[in-house]
Amino acid sequence: MIEIRNLYKRYHNHHDSPWVLKDINLTIPTGVSVGLLGRNGAGKSTLLRLIGGMDSPDRGDIVRNSRVSWPIGLAGGFQGSMTGRQNVKFVARIHGAEEEIERVVREVEAFAEIGNAFDDPVKTYSSGMRSRLAFGLSLAFDFDVYLSDEATAVGDRAFKAKAKEAFKARVGKASLIMVSHGEGVLREFCEAGIVLEKGQARWFDDIEEAIGAYHQATDGKKIEPPKVPTSLSEAKQQLMQANLEFEQARLDYQIASDDPARNDPDDALRWRVEESRERMHEARRYVQQFQSQAKAKPRKRTTKTTKKTGRP
Amino acid sequence: MAMEISRSDSSQPNFAGPSGGRARSSWRVARSVWFALFMRETISRTMADRMGWFWMIFEPLAIIGVMVSVRGLFMSGRHIAGADYVAWMVVGLMGFMLFRENMMRSIGAIEANRGLFAYRQVKPIDPVLVRCFLEGMLKSLIFILFITIGSLLKFELMPDYPFGAMMDWLSLWALGWGMGLTLSVLGDLVPEIGKVARILNLPLLLLSGVIFPVLYVPHQYREYLLMNPIVHGLESMRMNFFSGYHTIDGIDMTYLWFWALALISLGLVLHMRFRDQLKAH
Repeated sequence: MIEIRNLYKRYHNHHDSPWVLKDINLTIPTGVSVGLLGRNGAGKSTLLRLIGGMDSPDRGDIVRNSRVSWPIGLAGGFQGSMTGRQNVKFVARIHGAEEEIERVVREVEAFAEIGNAFDDPVKTYSSGMRSRLAFGLSLAFDFDVYLSDEATAVGDRAFKAKAKEAFKARVGKASLIMVSHGEGVLREFCEAGIVLEKGQARWFDDIEEAIGAYHQATDGKKIEPPKVPTSLSEAKQQLMQANLEFEQARLDYQIASDDPARNDPDDALRWRVEESRERMHEARRYVQQFQSQAKAKPRKRTTKTTKKTGRP
Repeated sequence: MAMEISRSDSSQPNFAGPSGGRARSSWRVARSVWFALFMRETISRTMADRMGWFWMIFEPLAIIGVMVSVRGLFMSGRHIAGADYVAWMVVGLMGFMLFRENMMRSIGAIEANRGLFAYRQVKPIDPVLVRCFLEGMLKSLIFILFITIGSLLKFELMPDYPFGAMMDWLSLWALGWGMGLTLSVLGDLVPEIGKVARILNLPLLLLSGVIFPVLYVPHQYREYLLMNPIVHGLESMRMNFFSGYHTIDGIDMTYLWFWALALISLGLVLHMRFRDQLKAH
């Protein structure tokens, strides 16, 4: 269980320093995975860093009665001049795993799958390799709560799938607190949600409600939870719909930004463009998925779906 | 140490060790962090550079060589009463470099390890402490190496009062440690301070009596010279190395320790006060 009591946080800039988080009171129960929602700058990452203990609050406190990880997939915690192996050993040591250092190194090496590069300096790594190493490192330790800041969005597709699997294997034993703009990812992993807005946090027992509230807060529009398409034609239809919505949002934004008397401090329209773009990409992925399935097994014409998709 | 109070860590991954499941004590967390940082710094100091080990020994040798030849060229005729001037200069340079390296390495310590503050167990003071420790160990090792090789070559470098020399060496180390702790915070908050410290290196070398014997300083300026605590450390160490050596009056190790303890306390307080700023930067 993680308890947040009367939490205040602000960053001291040169000019004014408004509260990023203002009087947050939350209790995150054990074993519940939570998604953090809010637009850029709403304080999602700040709250995550505070929960992880990387930063300390200006007022109030956070009680962690469980073992909390550092943000998984954090690629910044490496020393560039040292090899992947040396970096892994370092992290194992600060976590007091001196006796188990061999096991940790073996596990990370197996998970990261970067071959001989494991013994090269980290500064020679590509960003994908770095995040593979970082991800493997996070999973080599048994935490109760894992923190994730857009972490599942790294690496190529095969690695993403692997990371997802590794996560799923831990559900039940460990929970997750995650910041992501991908609503699909949030739906997949999280049960509950926290919406951050203007320094305030609202707790929702259901992630669907949280996503709904988030959209209502940003543009006053209610967004239906997307249906997972069951066939290629359905997916294509959704893609067309998403394309239309995106074009509409972009047009609205362009018209609004041409207007000199515009009063839109939150930039809600711009965020609507970004979100509809995200939905469009999601829809396109579904279409591609169905198309590749169609290519993979063109012979099976027995099931209903294959007939509907009308593949060659 | 007061710093450790904040390190209480109830959120460790547990391992099937003797302490499995329970949170580690603050002291144990601090020890594992220091050990991990020590291994990391040692590797990056000695192995990361292709010629790491070579330069570590050759650099002081080269500086001593240059200084000795400069003296031989421009100041021939002057000699140090009661000591061979090469040995006299080796002792002074090694003592000064111990102080200077502790100070200068600490200034970059926080910046170089910024990425590690993502792991909440690591506090900004840790890399500074570990670097100072490592620096002192390396310099001691090199000095002992010089003394041993010198003795084998029948070159008088063995201290006449080894215990006193060792205490002076430790005192200079403590002074460098205090300076490092203080400047690591100030240099990180105000980068210009780090630059000024770098510029002040050379004047400090001259004012500490490393190259010119302080005995040559006119009487009326000596009291100002004695305000520099490094002078006390170096002269005291030379007196312990060479029993026939005489220096100016007023050499007082208590004065050096006053500086060292004041700087260490100030450094620790600054690290406590600005911990969050140092991390967040």
